[in-house]
Amino acid sequence: MKRKISIFVIALFFIAPITGFAQYDYNSPEFQRIVSKLHMQGHSDHDVATCSVKQLYYEEVLSMLNKEGMSEEDIIQYYVDEYGQTALKEPEFGKSGLFAWVMPVVGLAAGAVLIGLWMRKGKTKAKSVHESEGKWQSEVNREMTEKLFDEERYKRF
Amino acid sequence: MYIIGCTVLYLGLFISAYSLIANLIGLKKKNRRWLESARGGILSLLLISVTASFVLFYILATGQFQFNYVASYTNENLPLIYKLTAFWAGNEGSLLLWVVLLCIFTGKLVFSKHKRNPMMPYVSSILLLNILFFFVVLIFTSNPFEMTDTIPADGSGLNPMLQHPGMIIHPIAIFLGYAGLAVPFSFALAALLMKRVDSEWIKLTRRWTLAAWLFLTAGNIIGSWWAYLELGWGGYWAWDPVENASFLPWLTVTAFLHSVMIQERKGMLKLWNISLIIISYLLTLFGTFLVRSGILTSVHAFSNSNIGSYFLAFLLFMIALSIFIVIARYDLIKKETSPIESYFSKESSFLLNNLILVAGAFAVFWGTMYPLFSELLFKTRVNVGPPYFTKVMTPIMLCLIVLMAVCPLIAWQKAKVERFFKNFIWPLSAGVLAGVILYFSGLRGIFAIVGLSCTVSMFCAHIKEFVDGIRARRKVKNENVFLAGWKLIRKNQRRYGGYVVHIGVAILAVGLVSSHAYSQEILKTVQSGESFSIGKYELTFNGLIEQTANHRGVVAAEMEVEYKGENIGSVRPEKIFYDTWPEPTSEVAIKQHRFTDIYVVLSSWENKNKATFQVKLNPFVSWIWTGGIIMAIGTLFALIGGKTGHFHNTRMSVTGDGEF
Repeated sequence: MKRKISIFVIALFFIAPITGFAQYDYNSPEFQRIVSKLHMQGHSDHDVATCSVKQLYYEEVLSMLNKEGMSEEDIIQYYVDEYGQTALKEPEFGKSGLFAWVMPVVGLAAGAVLIGLWMRKGKTKAKSVHESEGKWQSEVNREMTEKLFDEERYKRF
Repeated sequence: MYIIGCTVLYLGLFISAYSLIANLIGLKKKNRRWLESARGGILSLLLISVTASFVLFYILATGQFQFNYVASYTNENLPLIYKLTAFWAGNEGSLLLWVVLLCIFTGKLVFSKHKRNPMMPYVSSILLLNILFFFVVLIFTSNPFEMTDTIPADGSGLNPMLQHPGMIIHPIAIFLGYAGLAVPFSFALAALLMKRVDSEWIKLTRRWTLAAWLFLTAGNIIGSWWAYLELGWGGYWAWDPVENASFLPWLTVTAFLHSVMIQERKGMLKLWNISLIIISYLLTLFGTFLVRSGILTSVHAFSNSNIGSYFLAFLLFMIALSIFIVIARYDLIKKETSPIESYFSKESSFLLNNLILVAGAFAVFWGTMYPLFSELLFKTRVNVGPPYFTKVMTPIMLCLIVLMAVCPLIAWQKAKVERFFKNFIWPLSAGVLAGVILYFSGLRGIFAIVGLSCTVSMFCAHIKEFVDGIRARRKVKNENVFLAGWKLIRKNQRRYGGYVVHIGVAILAVGLVSSHAYSQEILKTVQSGESFSIGKYELTFNGLIEQTANHRGVVAAEMEVEYKGENIGSVRPEKIFYDTWPEPTSEVAIKQHRFTDIYVVLSSWENKNKATFQVKLNPFVSWIWTGGIIMAIGTLFALIGGKTGHFHNTRMSVTGDGEF
């Protein structure tokens, strides 16, 4: 037990200063990840040199990372608590934001189902027409198909 | 000038109303004289709108600041080219541009060799309705000839960011696309009204639709190019509502251009094609409403005014009219539509292509409008920004690329799986090989690698089509490679023009994926003589220079760029201060090296020897512009070609019409 405690204390000696004095700047991936999620009241795409709102956000985030030792999640949550969902560049996955994410998938799926049903119906119809009326549904169809085959046959010549 | 300007606008209003009524009476009474009178009215509208444009050009060029529009968008020191292009810098001018284009297109139609086409009075009536609406808007809410209360000594000037060649062309291209789409829309409604739901209207409008699509493509790409060079944030597409507004009709028209091929060849998808072109046209109105109403926050929307309510009212009217006409002719369309015969055929792959494109359009529409829906439905304000669109659109666009890889190799009517795989094995192998090479060369990111691999497959599938065609010709005709290639393309310009467009898309896709997945960014403050690294590049700051020229102050940074220790040149990012504009603008310095853009922005400075730079490495961005140019060349090729087939010529001769 004593050995374990002494190893832990020695490890703490090495780890604590590293985490305690970790310095983040504008180029740190952690900083970049956080600011890439923040809407910054519509100023996120502004030039940091001339935009005072963006500068304020950058300083705040750096201060939270360096001085207050907050994690990425804590910082994001802080802004969400402060400004609601408008703090972020994209809707959350739960509650009100769910609709935003689900609807494109629903749209695609609904479209796929409709096309599938239409094709199935059309295939059955085509089959029955072919069986009952011979090969061609009409003279127009025959002309169209012949033209198509001709075009495919001679497309290169 | 005020009297001339306003008079022509009022004349435009009355003559468009008269021509519309004359057309309707002519159609009802089957009286040619009324129809001829309406045609005369259209000619007058053409003259009137061109006169209005000349008046606006004149007052802009001569700096007549007693006009509100001139005072708002120009000043004495503005170069002449930007004084003239301020025509479309604001609401009033851009709407005038739109109506001029509509009048030109309507004039072109009713005075073309197809003027006796029985469809024409219907078509021109729908176009006249549009023209009438725009004259109403111009007169009652956006008059470009409105006077100022007091004549200012100088104008406010044009936003410096708009003083760029890209902004001379981009708005015209977009408006050409928007106005151009009104033509196939009008033909579609005319065909329905006349109960002629065969493919005639599609054949008559093929070039109009293709040209509109070309302009929308060019407009979007030129807009991106301008944003990349001028806005200084290092990107080219921000999924802003204004950008989405022009992207939406592009997606639906792309779907339409593919699905009409099925109708032309197989008589299928009639209702779908009519719906697609109606939706595309309505999206141009919706986009304009979005941009000008101020209902959504956008970085480059036009100023708010009540113009949005006019557009909303017209949009709702056109939706109601379109739905009414489609429902009235639904049975006819349904009766004349042929069914699909095989799940595995070019027809089905085109259907899938349409599904993906329309799903993409829906996703963009949904994302753009969601902040409004969320506020209305959940009382929660949210933002839907680039991360959302990237996550939603990436899989959709990936599916599209995959489909583009397989579609050219699938046969019409009923394809054989074995034959398809025999054809696809080489493109597939090339894609897989590309993926392996990319992975082992150190690239990471599953979506990016898969996306690039699929793009390689797609590219190779199209090259294979060309190679097979050339081989076949050489074998039979004994031609050399170049002659065989040229004759192959000339023989079927629509098909091979389309393939060239697809090759352009592949090149563009490489640019999009690479620049999105593998860009690097750094923000660095350095002293004069000091260096910093980004990727394999090292930049050395050599100090700031200040100079004044042409009524503007310029602060420029001199920087040397090295790649792996070798000097590859210098860059000079600038900040420009204008006399007439409160904010300085960033003049980005871009150095291209090995398909990578070294994108340098002078962010700020403390003194001549200490400055902060934002530097980005954007790989393959130039491929986006190259891809866009190739797409335009392919579209032009398809536009020039495209002879009518025997079947359709026969049908046309019955009605006495031909093809444009």
